[in-house]
Amino acid sequence: MNIWSSGRLVIAGSIAALALSTATLSAHHSFAAFDMSKEQTITGVVSRFDWTNPHTFIWVDVVNEKGVTETWAIEGMSPNYLGRRGWSKTSVKPGEKITVSIRPLKEGKTGGMFIRAQIGDRVLMPTGAPTDER
Amino acid sequence: MKLALAAALAISLAAQQKPTLKVPTEADWAAIAKLPDFTGVWEQTFGGGGRGRAGGPPAGPQLTPAYAEKRRAIVAKGAEDKETANCLPPGMPEIMGQPYPMEFLLTPGQVTIVIEAYSQVRHIYTDGRPLPDDPEERFFGTSIGHWDNGTLVAETVGFSPQTELAPNVPHSGRMKIVERFTLTAPDTMSIETTITDPEALTAPFTSTRTLRRHRAWTIAEYICEENNRNSVDDNGKAGINIRK
Repeated sequence: MNIWSSGRLVIAGSIAALALSTATLSAHHSFAAFDMSKEQTITGVVSRFDWTNPHTFIWVDVVNEKGVTETWAIEGMSPNYLGRRGWSKTSVKPGEKITVSIRPLKEGKTGGMFIRAQIGDRVLMPTGAPTDER
Repeated sequence: MKLALAAALAISLAAQQKPTLKVPTEADWAAIAKLPDFTGVWEQTFGGGGRGRAGGPPAGPQLTPAYAEKRRAIVAKGAEDKETANCLPPGMPEIMGQPYPMEFLLTPGQVTIVIEAYSQVRHIYTDGRPLPDDPEERFFGTSIGHWDNGTLVAETVGFSPQTELAPNVPHSGRMKIVERFTLTAPDTMSIETTITDPEALTAPFTSTRTLRRHRAWTIAEYICEENNRNSVDDNGKAGINIRK
């Protein structure tokens, strides 16, 4: 079962939404630091959520195959943008178990660009129509 | 003696500072109410009303050979990112195309555009003053405007060399931008932007954006330096800081 098919946010149209998020992120910076050809999924525990401009960051403690805990930094859209699309500063909370799909950083760094996430039965998407147009 | 000198200095400074907005009268404020209602917060819609004209020439600026060569040279450098990654605002015209909203404020003699991206502000003087002959080079340029049958027509000159006519295309000191702001429906605004530059362009470059009004929105702060972990160095190498 595809875990992204559950949850209370609808995923239909996510391809278009991702295309939009690509255009949107590029307003501040390029994708040069990220491997846009790859999609990687990590699971761990949230240690911090930066609800900040110009980008949000979800910090996740991930235990790797050697049993060592690594700190992953997941860059997302700005709070201004996400806040108009259903997110809030408490959408991601320290201590929550999270599964995040990302475009990984190049050079094997432990980080990436947010694509989507699941926390419990909640699915978090980066874009979509503003909440006042839904 | 000192006082006289100071007074003379003040007078000469005042002379340099004109034109000056006149003190608004009740009639000036009443006249604002007769203008199209631009109030509120607007955001560009993506997917509708793209760049260029349908059925016209291919979208994108038609460059003179000299500026086509400049573009080639810039692209050939292969920079991975732009200074916006270091939080430098893009200036005109790119600042009008951000995926963030903007608010229009109409006051006597002036239209102010509050742009959320990078927390920027543009001032368009509608009090009849002329464009400056020898404008300062600024990220937003210097703007004047007038109302043409319900359309706000803004003319802007004098841009910083750090701004671009289009991605990877520099401009000359003679670039001019004319924007036509029109309400096409109660909550829909069209902005038609025409760029001319006798040194860089062989033809005017026109693009159109469509904005939707969001009555429930307010402009939020956008302090790019708050937690900017992206960067680009002098060699064009992009970086990201993931130290927690």
